[in-house]
Amino acid sequence: MIDPRLFEEFRDIGRDIYVAGLTSSHGGNMSVRAGSRVIIKRRGAQLGRLKIEDFIETKLNAKDSGITRASTELIVHRTVYQKTSALAIIHCHPRTAIALSLTRDEIIPIDVEGSYLLHKVPVVAAEFASGSQEMADIVADTLREYKILMLRGHGVFSTGQTLEEAFHWISCLEEASDIILETHLLGEERKEFRKHSESYSKW
Amino acid sequence: MHGWAGKILDIDLTNHAIRTLPLDAEKARLFLGGRGLGARLLWDLVGPQVDPLSESNVLIFAAGPLTASGAQTSNRFTVSTKSPLTGTVLDANSGGWWGMQFKRTGYDVLIVRGKASQPTQIQITPDGVKIEDASLLWGKTVSETTAALGQDNNRRNVLCIGPAGENLSRISAIMNDGTRSLARGGPGAVMGNKNLKAITVVGSDKNAPEDRDLFRFMLYETGKLIKASPLTSQALPEFGTAAVMNVVNTIGALPTRNFQASQFENAERVSGEQLTDDLLVRNQACWACPIACTRVTRTEKAEGEGPEYESTWAFGPQCGIDRLDVIAEANYLCNDLGLDTISAGSTIGCAMEMAERGLIDSPLRFGRADLLHDTLRDIAYRRGLGDELAEGSYRFAAAHGAPELSMSAKRLELPAYDPRGMQGQGLLYATSNRGGCHMRGNMLGPEVLALPRLIDRFATQGKAGIVAIHQHSAAAIDSLLLCKFTNLAVAEEYFARLLTAVTGQSYKADDLMRIGERVWNLERLYNLREGFTRADDTLPPRLLNEPSPAGPSAGFTVRLEPMLEEYYEFRGWDTNGVPTPAKLKMLELDSLVAVKEDTP
Repeated sequence: MIDPRLFEEFRDIGRDIYVAGLTSSHGGNMSVRAGSRVIIKRRGAQLGRLKIEDFIETKLNAKDSGITRASTELIVHRTVYQKTSALAIIHCHPRTAIALSLTRDEIIPIDVEGSYLLHKVPVVAAEFASGSQEMADIVADTLREYKILMLRGHGVFSTGQTLEEAFHWISCLEEASDIILETHLLGEERKEFRKHSESYSKW
Repeated sequence: MHGWAGKILDIDLTNHAIRTLPLDAEKARLFLGGRGLGARLLWDLVGPQVDPLSESNVLIFAAGPLTASGAQTSNRFTVSTKSPLTGTVLDANSGGWWGMQFKRTGYDVLIVRGKASQPTQIQITPDGVKIEDASLLWGKTVSETTAALGQDNNRRNVLCIGPAGENLSRISAIMNDGTRSLARGGPGAVMGNKNLKAITVVGSDKNAPEDRDLFRFMLYETGKLIKASPLTSQALPEFGTAAVMNVVNTIGALPTRNFQASQFENAERVSGEQLTDDLLVRNQACWACPIACTRVTRTEKAEGEGPEYESTWAFGPQCGIDRLDVIAEANYLCNDLGLDTISAGSTIGCAMEMAERGLIDSPLRFGRADLLHDTLRDIAYRRGLGDELAEGSYRFAAAHGAPELSMSAKRLELPAYDPRGMQGQGLLYATSNRGGCHMRGNMLGPEVLALPRLIDRFATQGKAGIVAIHQHSAAAIDSLLLCKFTNLAVAEEYFARLLTAVTGQSYKADDLMRIGERVWNLERLYNLREGFTRADDTLPPRLLNEPSPAGPSAGFTVRLEPMLEEYYEFRGWDTNGVPTPAKLKMLELDSLVAVKEDTP
């Protein structure tokens, strides 16, 4: 049974993600790791309207009946927890970042906060970009080095010690993506102000 | 060198044998250096049959791949040994200059074995390695010894023991650069038992980064974050570590009068702010440190370094004392005698409670500031009651029939956070491999300071994973070696890139976390081999059964069992707290123990 304090965090962050326009009504999912178990949103539950019965608990290293109701992306969440130190994962569909992921192999923020917090966000691609082991492995391997990544044309996977931390990276990425887009739309020459910014691509 | 010098200096004091051995590259890959490498070498060298205070115990001094590289706070080193206080695996690390200078001698590790027949010192200089007589130094204090051997920051650095180590106090420290300490767990007694008074180092080698461009970039990025964080750029330089005194007291997590309460009524009088107002002369930095948290202070009677937050607490709230000048002088005294301030203060606090309860015949009482300094001298020289207190609080309290009054875990005195107000800290203390300690993954970050995010300090579900992750991070940083205060502003992804730049080998953030997990599990294996069990992963009964009496944590005890269960699950350990064969294989530790294959 999910701890009421933990449920409140799921509910509030789910609501924030939806209200901020970072996912569609039924898109996205979230989970946390507790011991050798994963607490994850059930399939089809709306991120913006989560109830305590919208969560299921399943084992990290073995299949159980919990998977019958789990999010489509459970396989990715499990693999990430198995291969990395993440304790919380959020997946959602930030539209500007998705747009950028369709045109480039990495998103390098140009604003101060994005540069400080992210430096560079890699874009990865998989033939079956939802719920496949291939995708799970690509995502998990990349998240051993980066705390957040974009899956080309699909969405973001972000990790943290808490849901709030994972949400922070997503919020920061979408803001940085908006700024990249809007700066591009201005069509004017961008003035670089960050020392060593040329090294960000090597992050 | 690029990270590793590739050499171990191996000295046997029994027969004055000096050898240079190659550093096994595979061990360096798996354990990096410092704490991790020390634990791995200790595994081979000191088995369960060895009494910590026998000549078969060893001292392993180890630098890390980042030591002396010039990366922020890359000045540290560790000592690893079997602890005479706890009987567990032990490592203690220290800053200052000695670690940097040792690395420059061209060695990654110094192993000291055996026992000299008379007081001895070691000198490691570009002219070679010498074992020399130290009879004239024996009996001298740390400041006297350090000065006599020509301490000169950046050029010549001295590490030594004081009278407490010579007299085999189980709470004695090894001191370096005069005032820095490898304190916890009694390593000073191991050195004293070997009749080894001092080790002086002079080096000329350089730990130059393999990828200079990446190194410069990472120095810049790391420095940016240290400057941006109010903790590392303002609180620590202005108030030192005691900056958290009022914070911890306000939330009801400041142990008071041997943990009988969780708030100290006079906390402000011993706070970092008060220290700055009343005693601070200047702040000071270790080599290559931009934070400069060290306090140089002056009272009417003396001048010296410190006190740190933990020391202020140990001689202050823990003993019911609110005289900052007396506390600072107690700290100077411990530095000079070579005593662990936390264990010394906590043991005296324990004795104060026992005296108030009539369990011992002593004038010690909470608040008796006038007795503090003489009691510390008595511990160092093993005089009167001090002879018993020199054994640490657990042995002392147990000898008088009240082991439950020792506020310790695995016999190591707990530090300055009452876990009834920080549940995760309770789990950390209970599971710490060297005994109850805050430096193995301090939950002050997530439970109080919102680093990386604020979590509910009273909650238990999900806490185990956060504690374990912080333990891995701490073990990795202790193996690199850097100061954990950088971690208040800088995350593992930065450390991994710094390591990549210095060594030329590619490391990811999660590689470091995996190394930290490997070190943690190796230490666990060591303790299991020594006979420790799940029953030792516990806390003093007071914290489990007596609710905090007042303040914001009132009514809370530590709810340890559910957290411990989740913790073992998270770690992939069985219900007895033993790493499973699958876990050991994953961590490449399976070759160390005879393991049975997983059965379906």
